[in-house]
Amino acid sequence: MRRWSNLIVGGAATACGLIACTVLLWIVFAILFRGLPAVRWQFLTEQIRLVGAEGGIFYNLVGTGILMATAAVITTPLSVAIALAQGFYLRGNAAQRAVTLLLYLLNGVPSILFGILGLIVFVKYFDWGKSWLTGGILLGLMITPTVSVALLERIRMIPERYIEAAAGLGLTRSQIVRSVILPQSIGGLVTGLLLGLARAVGETAPIMFTATIFAGATFPTGIIESPVLALPYHIFQLAQDSFNPDVAVKVWGTATVLLGLVFLLSLVSLPIRLKVHEEARHA
Amino acid sequence: MSNVLFQNDTRQPRRFGWGLTRAMSLSLTAFAAVVLVGMLVLFAMESAPVLKHEGVNYVVGKTWFFRSETFGVLPMIYGTAVVAGIALLLAAPIGIGAAVFTAEIVPPRVRMPVKLAIELLAGIPSVVYGLLGILLLRNYVYDGLRAAGFDPLSGDTLLTAGLLLAVMILPTIMTLSDDALRSVPSMSRHAARGLGLTHGQAILAVSLPQARKGLIAAILLAFGRALGEAIAVFLVVGRQDNQLPGSLFSLEPLISSGQTLTSKLGGAEVNIAYGDPLHWAAVVGLGLLLLIAVTVVTLVAAWLQREAAHA
Repeated sequence: MRRWSNLIVGGAATACGLIACTVLLWIVFAILFRGLPAVRWQFLTEQIRLVGAEGGIFYNLVGTGILMATAAVITTPLSVAIALAQGFYLRGNAAQRAVTLLLYLLNGVPSILFGILGLIVFVKYFDWGKSWLTGGILLGLMITPTVSVALLERIRMIPERYIEAAAGLGLTRSQIVRSVILPQSIGGLVTGLLLGLARAVGETAPIMFTATIFAGATFPTGIIESPVLALPYHIFQLAQDSFNPDVAVKVWGTATVLLGLVFLLSLVSLPIRLKVHEEARHA
Repeated sequence: MSNVLFQNDTRQPRRFGWGLTRAMSLSLTAFAAVVLVGMLVLFAMESAPVLKHEGVNYVVGKTWFFRSETFGVLPMIYGTAVVAGIALLLAAPIGIGAAVFTAEIVPPRVRMPVKLAIELLAGIPSVVYGLLGILLLRNYVYDGLRAAGFDPLSGDTLLTAGLLLAVMILPTIMTLSDDALRSVPSMSRHAARGLGLTHGQAILAVSLPQARKGLIAAILLAFGRALGEAIAVFLVVGRQDNQLPGSLFSLEPLISSGQTLTSKLGGAEVNIAYGDPLHWAAVVGLGLLLLIAVTVVTLVAAWLQREAAHA
């Protein structure tokens, strides 16, 4: 009886572990197996032709790059501000807990709702039409919890004696922030940004109504009515037209490129990633 | 941080009062809070016309025909609940089982690669899952249902969306359950083993019960994810309006197309609604319902995780 229960529990858990790993690895294999043959140099440097059945994804890469850069610029001041408030300026448990809860809730907001928010604010109130800037702002807001939690972890790791030494030299709190805390935790900011961008790079829902079109956009020249192309939106549109075998090849290729970008971004930040999870945790 | 050090800090600070840095830090943090609260307020304001027009029928109404200005959301609430429910039924046992495997059974040398793989796979974008759903999964579902003697119209069903979501939320459940199990003090385990329990009995009698709150929080957070996932569900759910079963327990709608709150929000109707105030309000109202549901789920999960941390 004892032996059996032991074997059953161990066996069931092992089976679950193997099922999970197999399913997930099979997914990656299924994508690469179909997509890698399509990824050629021309695929990355040419424009879309024939509604996605021919040509490449050059401007989709450009557009995704523009969105990522904008998101990084938007999220950096916000995340730094929140991490500093959390780790340094806010005193008392209540205020700190409130910020933790804020990050937690913000992290839980479904990405499609950021898209609807963008429609209401930027498209309806500001009348920007589809704009790369809207997309960047929405993605930047979306990844702020991820970035600030990663940065906060790093700030908490700064040895107390550095701060004591700076205080002993007569620096005010804000001088300490500028001369000790920020320089010492810049690595955490970079890791957090990469982690956040790995999440943002594949997001379709926030940008589909607010920032992207399927074809015909190149480099944006302004803010109003200046959409971009993007990799995830390209996959989203082509997936719905996947009965054409030429399109199928291209869409698997695009998925492979996107997956490559995600893995590249998250590999760099893996050490932290194994410590800090997507879900902001309670300290 | 060493607040004690600064209690006598009466020196005249430099040009910008006591810290432009501090003012910026706190005001930008406040801005993030404004974004969150503002989202709720904006959605409520924008959807007010439909709540006036439909009243409580907006939530319990069974039909949605925008041309005749009838907006009942119940079929979409049903679709959302079914799809997320299927996903949880499948992913929760397997995810927690796999977490027992990584947290309690394998040696650290094996544990890290497995966790690493899971972390990487958690990052696969939902549009890629949607693509897999469209090009592979829906055909498997169609063939499987045919083989089982059903007669589905297509492979785009609530069941397909649920299966796809199950795979998508598996990493979330695994990672968070693994955390919850690892935070059970090893002393309890040793004590259980010392009393003569086998490894398996110790897991059942000590680790799982002690990690209970964390495990429930993991399932809830995954549930929140499943409720809010739009793109993958959009691509495989069939997007058939006004699908409600005759009785709550009939399995028939599982194998037919349906519509969820998110698949409606991701569709072309958002663009159609844009010019018409009432229709637009009805569409934003879907977002409001979703936001409220996800916020409640997240709050409960946050509370459970705090409880678990203080236990």
